[in-house]
Amino acid sequence: MANVEYRSVGKSFGSVQVLEKLSLDIADGEFVVLLGSSGCGKSTLLRMTAGLETISSGEIVIDGKVVNGVHPRDRNIAMVFQNYALYPTMKVRENIAFSLEVAGKSKDEIEAQVAEAARVLNLTEYLDRKPSELSGGQRQRVAMGRAMVRNAKVFLFDEPLSNLDAKLRAHMRVEIRQLHDRLKATTVYVTHDQIEAMTMADKIVLMQGGGIVQVGTPDDLYDRPATRYVAEFIGSPQINCQDGEIVSNGGEALFVNGELKLPLPASYAAHQGRQVTCGIRPSDVALSDTGPIVGTLQIAEKTGADKQMHLDVNGSEFVAVAPRHTQGVPGDTLRFAVAPDNIHLFDHASGIRIAA
Amino acid sequence: MLNVCNQVRWRSERVFDLRVGVLSWDRPWIWLAPLIAMLVAFTIVPLIYNVWLSFHEYHAFSRQLRWVGGANWAQLVADERMWEALGITLAYFAVTLTVEVILGMAIALLLDADEIGFGFLRTLLTLTLVVPPAIAGMMFLLIEDPEFGVLTYVLEVLGLLDKTTPILATGSTALWGVMLVDIWQWTPFMVLIFLAGLRSLPPEPYEAAMLDGASGFMVFRRITLPLLQKVIAVAVLIRGIDIFRMFDYVFVMTSGGPGTSTYTLSLYSWQQTFSFIKWGYGATLSLFTLLIILVVANLFIWVAKVRW
Repeated sequence: MANVEYRSVGKSFGSVQVLEKLSLDIADGEFVVLLGSSGCGKSTLLRMTAGLETISSGEIVIDGKVVNGVHPRDRNIAMVFQNYALYPTMKVRENIAFSLEVAGKSKDEIEAQVAEAARVLNLTEYLDRKPSELSGGQRQRVAMGRAMVRNAKVFLFDEPLSNLDAKLRAHMRVEIRQLHDRLKATTVYVTHDQIEAMTMADKIVLMQGGGIVQVGTPDDLYDRPATRYVAEFIGSPQINCQDGEIVSNGGEALFVNGELKLPLPASYAAHQGRQVTCGIRPSDVALSDTGPIVGTLQIAEKTGADKQMHLDVNGSEFVAVAPRHTQGVPGDTLRFAVAPDNIHLFDHASGIRIAA
Repeated sequence: MLNVCNQVRWRSERVFDLRVGVLSWDRPWIWLAPLIAMLVAFTIVPLIYNVWLSFHEYHAFSRQLRWVGGANWAQLVADERMWEALGITLAYFAVTLTVEVILGMAIALLLDADEIGFGFLRTLLTLTLVVPPAIAGMMFLLIEDPEFGVLTYVLEVLGLLDKTTPILATGSTALWGVMLVDIWQWTPFMVLIFLAGLRSLPPEPYEAAMLDGASGFMVFRRITLPLLQKVIAVAVLIRGIDIFRMFDYVFVMTSGGPGTSTYTLSLYSWQQTFSFIKWGYGATLSLFTLLIILVVANLFIWVAKVRW
């Protein structure tokens, strides 16, 4: 087990700067998710950690040792690739055993470890099959088995679930997290799926344009997003954003955008006149006859557990999550209320969160 | 968009036109006829004629082909020179094919990189393939010349040979001298095929192997080689058939000599047919060569599990 430290790490491909002076600490045994949209540099950072990409500037430290010039085979890292990267001509058994064989383990030892990994991952009956004879989920499990037997210091996952269907993905999320809890290995997991990040991570590192936007627990990112980008990235359905200004009225603070007037915690009164973006999560609103959010229903989507009401509020779209039996047809006027503490305010120009 | 739609419609109308015409796709025989005609004229008929010929022999006095039954085949089995030629052919086949595969793979592995200049090197490799084999033979006749050949000189300087043993005129070295041309000319062919295979391999298993701690040799043995198995098999098959019926080099360089030390099966067939005008026996010899190639090739396909 080991901690991983990134010290002002940079990466460029020719003149294109992919990562810029990125610093991050990952504690021993932590499950960290690098989250971000395509092209934000998360996979590159992971591949640099593995040694599959060179480091343009800065240092990566694993277990107290700078690994910049260390060959991947000497980093003691196990990685699960997006497309599994199984050895196509080897059987499942050989795929899992390969690293043990390389390490010069005895036949009995290899057999025992392969059998144990296969048992944990439900692969026992597939041990003599080739990867081409397996389904996507089974291949995924072989890739995990291969990583498991390594007894590596750090486990890296590069979008391992993105090729699986939704049901299997949900199942594998649990399996990977359980595996981590059992092995207690330091894990770096790359994904663009915020649900994976929220459900699995001890700590989420949200990246944008080659840099880190926010590091924190899933609750930190959901409850206190550092920027509007984070607020919009985390949470499904996406947070509702409205531009407006803070108006102070006799010690009380209001967010005002035309007809929309929302009471804010009193401490915002100090920001009188500031141009802001107001973010309200769809699940933080409740139907209320006297609520300040008044909208015309455009469409009501049933998701099973609840109903997502798409409203026109003040000329822009506003989504509210309502109980599943909520009545309403397009054209109806609905009113919602929101607790002042659940309103997120960001500076209009910079997008940075304004603390209450 | 409209333009695209029009094009699609225009094309489908054209296809529809073909359907109702004579050359429609529900009349496959019309499409196949030219190919079948060529196959029959240039392959099937000559083959049948060859079989027919192997049961006949040409008589110079009567200028006629006469039925001899199985006499040609009986002669073939009893012909010591034929067995000697087969032995020489097999030795030539085994050595050149082995060297070409190993050397070809080694060079392909070296050239499988995206460094500057490697593309040019890969192009350079094709040069030997455009030289006609007979010309290559002539070139090596000069290179291996006992008086002014470069190779003779180099081997002499290295103390491996003295001028009293000319490579192509000494029984123990002549076949090696001929093999050298084959290896020079055809190793690049192997390199090209192996390179095409190598460059189409997925990079991910290699990255996984790197993290698994595998050494370069282990990666080659456990990943590259199994992945290239079919490419290697096809290359061996094509080249193997070619080597087995090699004629140009021995014809140009040694005419089968000194003595019979470079007399291959194809040269022997040629000699019987065209020098001795034994058309029946010549046909029997070439049929025998074809049978050996068929058996060996199919055995190889079966053993190497080549799937077409």
